[in-house]
Amino acid sequence: MQPTSQNELSDSLRLELRRGCLILAVLAQLRVEHYGYTLRKALADQGLSIEESTLYPLLRRLETQGLLTSEWREEEKRNKRFYRLSSEGAAVLELLMAEWNGINDSLHRILEEKAVKKER
Amino acid sequence: MDLLERYLQSVGEYLPARSKADTLAELRENLLAEMESREEELGRALTENETAEVLEKHGRPVLVAARYLPQQHLIGPAWFPIYWFALKKSFPFVVLIYVATQCIAWFSQAEKGVDLGALVGRFPGIILTFWAVLTLGFACFEYAEGRYFHRVDLSKGWNPNELPKLEPAQGRQPSLVNRVANAVMAAVGIVWLLALPYMLLGPRLGYLRQMPFTLTPDWHIVYWQMIFLLAVQLVLKTVMVFLHTARGWYNALEVIVQVSGLVILVIMLRMRTYLVPGTTPAAMSLKDVTGLNALIHLGFQIALVVAVVKLLWDLWKMVTGSRTSQKGFVTVL
Repeated sequence: MQPTSQNELSDSLRLELRRGCLILAVLAQLRVEHYGYTLRKALADQGLSIEESTLYPLLRRLETQGLLTSEWREEEKRNKRFYRLSSEGAAVLELLMAEWNGINDSLHRILEEKAVKKER
Repeated sequence: MDLLERYLQSVGEYLPARSKADTLAELRENLLAEMESREEELGRALTENETAEVLEKHGRPVLVAARYLPQQHLIGPAWFPIYWFALKKSFPFVVLIYVATQCIAWFSQAEKGVDLGALVGRFPGIILTFWAVLTLGFACFEYAEGRYFHRVDLSKGWNPNELPKLEPAQGRQPSLVNRVANAVMAAVGIVWLLALPYMLLGPRLGYLRQMPFTLTPDWHIVYWQMIFLLAVQLVLKTVMVFLHTARGWYNALEVIVQVSGLVILVIMLRMRTYLVPGTTPAAMSLKDVTGLNALIHLGFQIALVVAVVKLLWDLWKMVTGSRTSQKGFVTVL
């Protein structure tokens, strides 16, 4: 495989891998109220940076799906839209977290098995 | 901030009217917060170029706006494989129906002429129309699904026991494209043979008169025998397009088609004299025409041998294939 196409492929797979994780991270982070910019900063501070152009539309979509609620409120003399997890979102988050933990445990086992075989 | 307003105006051009103001207000706040954060880091106001950098990083207006729109597609991933399958499977039938309608039109028209250019030229339009109608049908179905009737769950409602039986390793049936192509070629053959006398005795009469040889009167009898046998072949091949699942019947029809082909060759061989010298000054001598007739006769003899060998080979494959099917099957990938 050509290096360029290999890079393109790995980029595309990396994005695919991140896509589902980002939703989980956003939902989890919005257990505490945030507006777009502070949410992005909070996620980045914990090592998960998201492009603005990805995050802001994602918030809208999750709100349309009923997983988030939002309200316009004045803060520092400016109107900002604050997002928070809805009750439906909290239930979905719980399910997603259980799924995530399951996948995470399985992957750990699979990856450890591979590492042990390699050592041998 | 003029640049930010221009950016928001550009994004707004691609947003739907009902959510435009709300989306742009939120976007403005987020971008302003981003810029203020940069200003705090630098300890001064952003220059025009630095503002442009923030906006450039945020993305091209049309793409940013597109991310705020609901996911749009004509045919979604759930139905696309079915759509693609339908498109592929129905294509040979479109060809068959087109050829059939053109044949019927040719038979019903008063002046028997074949404009091959127009026949081929019309075909892309037919294909495009078919593609557009099928795509629109699927798009309408997908739009209505979930809105006007319950979603169809494609993962359910199928029975593994209804899967087609394993095909024997030998004697696999020809593909749909192959079967339709056979029928189309038979139709084209008949139309060509029917058009030929019209062309030779009609618009191309002058060309026939200049030939150094001419056809023997036997052709008048043989011609209709050939037309009859080719018509039989066309009917059988059309039936075979739809009969592929009934293996025994399909094989039987295949043998009949091949035998009818042999009969045509035998008729041609029995003629022996195909051409006679023409009446023009440049006509061939009798000796030359006799040589030419011998060559044509030899050609038909070779064709007959090849056809007989092929028939025997196919019969052998059918017999051994049926034996294999009694012993067991092999998955054909």
